[in-house]
Amino acid sequence: MRVVHYLNQFFGGQGGEKVAHLAPSIQDGAVGPGRLLEQVLGAGAQVVRTIIVGDNYAAERVESLGALAVQEAQQCQADLFVAGPCFEAGRYGMVAGALCKAVKAALGIPVITGMAVENPGVDMYHADIYIVDSGTQVQAMRDVLTTMARLAQKLLNHQALGRPHEEGYIPQGMLRDDFVEPSAAERLVAMVYAKTTGQPFESEFTPPTFAPVPAPSPVLDLSKARVALVTDGGLVPKGNPDKIAPSAATNWGAYDISGLDDLQARTTKCRTEGMIPAMWSKTRTGWCRWMCCVNSKKPGWWASYMTVLCPRRGSPIPSPIAAVWGGRLPRSSKPTGWRL
Amino acid sequence: MTLAYHPVADVRFGATTQLQGTTLEVSETVLRQHLLEDRRLQRVDLAIVHPGEACRFGVVFDIVEPRAKEPGAGPDFPGILEPIAMVGQGLTHVLQGAAVTVLDAAAPIAGGQVVEMSGDAGKACSYAALSHLVVVPHVVPGLERHRALHALRLASVKAAVYLGRTAVGHTAASRAVFESLGPVDDSRPGLPRLAYIGQIHSRQRVAEVDEQILYGANTAGMAPVLLHPNEWLDGALVISYFNRAVETYCYQNHPIIMELYRWHREGKITLVGTIATMAGSDNDDRARNAMLAAQQAKWTLAAEGVILTKYGGGAPHADMALTAKLCEELGIRTAVQASDMSQDRRAESALLFNYAEVDAIVYVGGNDTRWTVPAVPRVIAGTPEAAVTLAAAQVLDAGRLCGVTNQQGASHLRAFVH
Repeated sequence: MRVVHYLNQFFGGQGGEKVAHLAPSIQDGAVGPGRLLEQVLGAGAQVVRTIIVGDNYAAERVESLGALAVQEAQQCQADLFVAGPCFEAGRYGMVAGALCKAVKAALGIPVITGMAVENPGVDMYHADIYIVDSGTQVQAMRDVLTTMARLAQKLLNHQALGRPHEEGYIPQGMLRDDFVEPSAAERLVAMVYAKTTGQPFESEFTPPTFAPVPAPSPVLDLSKARVALVTDGGLVPKGNPDKIAPSAATNWGAYDISGLDDLQARTTKCRTEGMIPAMWSKTRTGWCRWMCCVNSKKPGWWASYMTVLCPRRGSPIPSPIAAVWGGRLPRSSKPTGWRL
Repeated sequence: MTLAYHPVADVRFGATTQLQGTTLEVSETVLRQHLLEDRRLQRVDLAIVHPGEACRFGVVFDIVEPRAKEPGAGPDFPGILEPIAMVGQGLTHVLQGAAVTVLDAAAPIAGGQVVEMSGDAGKACSYAALSHLVVVPHVVPGLERHRALHALRLASVKAAVYLGRTAVGHTAASRAVFESLGPVDDSRPGLPRLAYIGQIHSRQRVAEVDEQILYGANTAGMAPVLLHPNEWLDGALVISYFNRAVETYCYQNHPIIMELYRWHREGKITLVGTIATMAGSDNDDRARNAMLAAQQAKWTLAAEGVILTKYGGGAPHADMALTAKLCEELGIRTAVQASDMSQDRRAESALLFNYAEVDAIVYVGGNDTRWTVPAVPRVIAGTPEAAVTLAAAQVLDAGRLCGVTNQQGASHLRAFVH
């Protein structure tokens, strides 16, 4: 097994923060933790090349370093790309994650790294690659590398990995079904009993937490404002010209509705799930809340376009997608072109 | 209430309808005549299916356990089959191991609920362990859909009670007593007082005017209502026509109520009662139902902990979670059961609610579990075309197999975050 290993200047034996500006140095063979990595990977494993870069240098040039890592791994005909482990080192973690992701995407070979859960690299890359939970203690190097090696072997053998806490990696945020012995009812009663009596319990799901979104400053003069109404009701022009999917849509549409006081004749719905048919047939306008603005007949400030979002089934739009959409909406000064 | 269990190891057609030891003999002629008293039915097909048989059937309308009240102990399915009167007391006979499964001949086979009796899918389908009397009612041509569904409902409970009555006069193999004194129970100091708040309908789908859910009512205009735990078990409730991942069998053997009773009997908790509620049709409906249910749990049941479940599709999660949040604000600790809503398998897409207080979640999986099932020699379906489709080798999603993703607490499928 041929391995390419990425290290920062510290673990690469170049020095501490003073040499964080160091440009990439590429060495044949294993360096520092790489020697231990060879041991725990077992006979036949060889770190053929080590890439060492200073943290500051790397953090400022993540993209070109990604290309370099891909190039090195390709040249060496690497079977595996390993970065770190990085423990709590933030710049190191962010670069390690980026390089792993780049190599995986370009070459399709297994990649692995290790970080403490507090490392910002975890937030950025946990969904893309396997990151072993290294904890914060560098003394645990051998244990962490052993776990990384075990996971790497499984990935190389195309074996499915078990649950995160059993395998030692940080959850990637993907769901996988499994049959369990106690029924849902048995788990519910045990859980509510523990919670009611003040004992520890483990929820089977922890809702994601989101950073608070600061409220924008208020619009002081609506008469000069261009107002968009954003609805997730799934109301689209007849024919659904933007082909917005009925659920788990990955696009959205913006439609000029200036001067319109009736939606009934011009729209259809692209969405059937989770909606109440009776309310839909009764009045589309009541459902689509913009009518309260339109009906007020205050010339000059009613909605000039309507944006339709079709969320995933139920209602959630994963926040990374929502963030992308949200960033584009305000800049989309023109509707996508379809006038209702 | 006492449940008298009569184990059934075999069901077969015979000259008369009777229980002989553990064999249930069914007169096809008499049962058919009994069901055809309903003039809305023009034909009824009957079949018997045993555990382990290479057999598949659907589209399932409902699965009901054959039961009958001891004469004088109360009505069977009050409001549907018999006049409205209290249930949940006295003796009820149970044909354990048997099921009446009614198929809906007019329902589209695509996506419809099925029972798979063999193979790996059969092992996961809890109903495959039962002997089924499969009833396929065919309604007269031109009958309105809501009346046809009403006829299916009536046939399901009629057949179940007809079979259940064979046990009357027989000595039960075992008995279980279900006794809860409700909120006034002060004989068990120091034990946590637990209750159950279960949705019995979702107004996402407006109930038919003649749809029978609670004591024969369709729940329109209904506010959350206190029920004795035994009422769920003893015929006060059947599922609505929105029957995905729910079966009346799981009301009769309600996994959560049965488990609460087990802890209650073991002296670890006091089961103080239950509340039946609905998922609302709009925000006001949701807010009203959630508030009333939480207040009843607090001020009428004096519950210290509650379990909440939802009914129907995705949106009812919002009603369940809001009810749980309001309970938490009143000082009641909660645990909720969520169905798998993540189509893309991202954990972030999984929940339709996010309240810090609602932090005890049992998460039922389903969206990445499916079985490739082989062609089977025997199928039971509502139409010849449906039978052909059903008989073929195919992929069956977890959500299509009765019992696998059950919303009433029966499921053993769980999604883990990887």
